[in-house]
Amino acid sequence: MTERPDGLRGIDQKLRSVRFVPRASFGPELRGRLRRGEQPSGGGHRSLGRQLATAAVVVLTAGGALALASFGTLAHIGAVTVDRCCYDLDGGGDADDGVLILTKRDDRLHRLRVYEDLDGSRSFTHTDIVRLDRGAEPAVHGLASQGMVTIERCCLDFDGGGPADDGLLVIGVPPDRVLMAAIYETGPGTGSRSSRAAGWPLR
Amino acid sequence: MPLRLPAREKAEIAQTVPPQDDREAACRAWYEAYGGQLYNYLRFHLSSPDLAEDLTAEVFLRALKSFSRFDSALGSPRAWLFRIAHNALRDHQRQARRRQLVPLGGMRDLEYQAPSPEERLLWEEEVAGLLAAMAELSSGDREVIGLCYGSELSMTEAGEILGLSAAATRTRLWRALARLRTALVR
Repeated sequence: MTERPDGLRGIDQKLRSVRFVPRASFGPELRGRLRRGEQPSGGGHRSLGRQLATAAVVVLTAGGALALASFGTLAHIGAVTVDRCCYDLDGGGDADDGVLILTKRDDRLHRLRVYEDLDGSRSFTHTDIVRLDRGAEPAVHGLASQGMVTIERCCLDFDGGGPADDGLLVIGVPPDRVLMAAIYETGPGTGSRSSRAAGWPLR
Repeated sequence: MPLRLPAREKAEIAQTVPPQDDREAACRAWYEAYGGQLYNYLRFHLSSPDLAEDLTAEVFLRALKSFSRFDSALGSPRAWLFRIAHNALRDHQRQARRRQLVPLGGMRDLEYQAPSPEERLLWEEEVAGLLAAMAELSSGDREVIGLCYGSELSMTEAGEILGLSAAATRTRLWRALARLRTALVR
């Protein structure tokens, strides 16, 4: 049975015409990650010995890391930029908003920006409109008013940690105001995808 | 106690493992050559473009980390990268099962030639249906379909990755397509 059976011609042609293209900014992002020598997020099961060795290294280097942090230099080590587009994050109805996050892998978030992808590039560019720009701590920006909405997107890798286990919570006033945005890490095995239901801390 | 190698052996190892810059350059070149094929292969298995991007990046980060294990005498870089992709996909699916998470959907990375928005929506729905039907197949069926269609490999090239002859790959593909057709009808 080496020739394609006639009955499969339709599905064969349909599959041949399916083609996906990643975001235009994905290639440059990946080249940057390779240049920085980023570590992959996983690699299957690790042996107990390797896990213990990793734990030992973490304990031994924690003191040094704390010392570095006191000088304010830790933020520059292993920082990851995550750019996700496009969703409706301002309640405007169109999936034309993105979120740009600077974070340390699975650690504290340093910068979070919600933008409207004005030029349709599906990534943040200088021509896009910034709806919210915040630092390390989530806080409400601007006066709360009537008509506020809560928007949640789950689950994706928003913190560059690898697994798609982070949620994004946005409070806005449609059609274009964003008052607060934060990410949260979902708990394993809970099955819930809502930060409000599970009480996960916002970052 | 750390292993202490004689100076001559150290020099030989240094010669066989390229410096970091070379590894990075090789991975970048491999991305240019095979990134699209790998992305499509992974996308045929995953429901969201974000997941496909994350796993494509994971493949090249793993390749960079394990660069010294690549041996061109044992196979092509593409075959090696597809094996890494296969393993990364398997790890992801294991974690996804454990976490019971449903990723965001979306077909924003789907290429189309439909002239109108309505036709594009129909095409997106059709492809979403294809991917949903593929998810019902066995991992072996998904693998051969992903390699032959997603990444556009020839039967011989797909067979090299699957460890099968071209004829055996073709036979496996037709059987997988028959099961996919049945799943689509359901």
